[in-house]
Amino acid sequence: MTDAPRLFDRRTVAARRRRAIARGRPEDAFLVDIVAADVAERLATVSREFPTALAIGGPTDALARAVADSGRSHRVLRADLFAAGPDGAHPADLVVDDEVLPLAPASVDLVVSALTLQWANDLPGALVQIRRALKPDGLFLGVLVGGDSLTELRDAMAAAEIELTGGVSPRVAPMGEVRDMGALLQRAGFALPVADQDRLTLRYATPLHLMRELHVLGAGNALAERRRGLTPPALIGRAAEIYAERFSDPDGRVRATVTLVSLSGWAPHESQQKPLRPGTAKTRLADALKTTEIKI
Amino acid sequence: MTPGADGPEARPGETGMTEGSGMTDGSADETKNRRGKVDPRLLELLVCPLTKTTLSYDAGRQELVSRSARLAFPVRDGIPIMIPDEARQLGEDE
Repeated sequence: MTDAPRLFDRRTVAARRRRAIARGRPEDAFLVDIVAADVAERLATVSREFPTALAIGGPTDALARAVADSGRSHRVLRADLFAAGPDGAHPADLVVDDEVLPLAPASVDLVVSALTLQWANDLPGALVQIRRALKPDGLFLGVLVGGDSLTELRDAMAAAEIELTGGVSPRVAPMGEVRDMGALLQRAGFALPVADQDRLTLRYATPLHLMRELHVLGAGNALAERRRGLTPPALIGRAAEIYAERFSDPDGRVRATVTLVSLSGWAPHESQQKPLRPGTAKTRLADALKTTEIKI
Repeated sequence: MTPGADGPEARPGETGMTEGSGMTDGSADETKNRRGKVDPRLLELLVCPLTKTTLSYDAGRQELVSRSARLAFPVRDGIPIMIPDEARQLGEDE
């Protein structure tokens, strides 16, 4: 759809996702629970109803359930990324690729997206499609992995790879920075855009537990330029050693940073607050400040 | 946001089993056998993901057909799979 450089191999993202659902235990996707709780909290502060909501995410029902439980929406469609995860209390309604969203223009009142947009090759494009799917004054809430997430793993893998092979290959994806996200939302045509972030520190028994969990989440390396084939065990072993040396706590557990970037924006509507045109003021600033105007 | 931070911590002994659990598959498929038809209200919202044009529903073949993209998107257990890679290319005479 675009000539922009492809950072992610979407087929690999899809394959990893399917495999994680088929053989893993998606209920281990605890990050989804954290994000669902966060979305529910944000939704609770909005004092209006969204008759039809689309919850893009999966692999569990956590996000769709959180939106339904918020009471803000009486029809919640669960759209799982690339493959339908387990039913849970709110089974998947459709399966989507969020780079090519299959939604009619102005068809839904609320779109929430959990942990899918970090794999978008064309994030502005994906955001534009979400905005078009929203009715005027519809709301978008999204959470993606970004910032300095997995910086420890990136360091350890690079150090081990330099040691063993004399070079590095891309293993941990580059992450979107929160300071760029507000501008992206605006570019995508959202009104009142807001982007902020939340840094989590996860602790694991060993670096291998972290790596295994990334695979359970279907978050293995899907970079288009990645080195193909199996990662040599010696490299993983050395990276784990370096990781443990550099990033462990006194009790021997290792730390991993995950930064969740939260986005929100509204599909434009005339009822929304916006700045007045210059020159349309009806009151003098000097009067408001109770001072005298000095002509220059 | 703190509860999740304990997530991985809570099961250090268990994680070793994650890879082995691949053997107990199938459950993902079994759980889906509950519906056959697509919710008509859902169809009203859906368009072709590539061309954003209307789709026609072929109930017999369980497909959502995009004439403009010449693709038929499968509906599996009542769930439309709107992934271009998984769609069937329409034949000459379709």
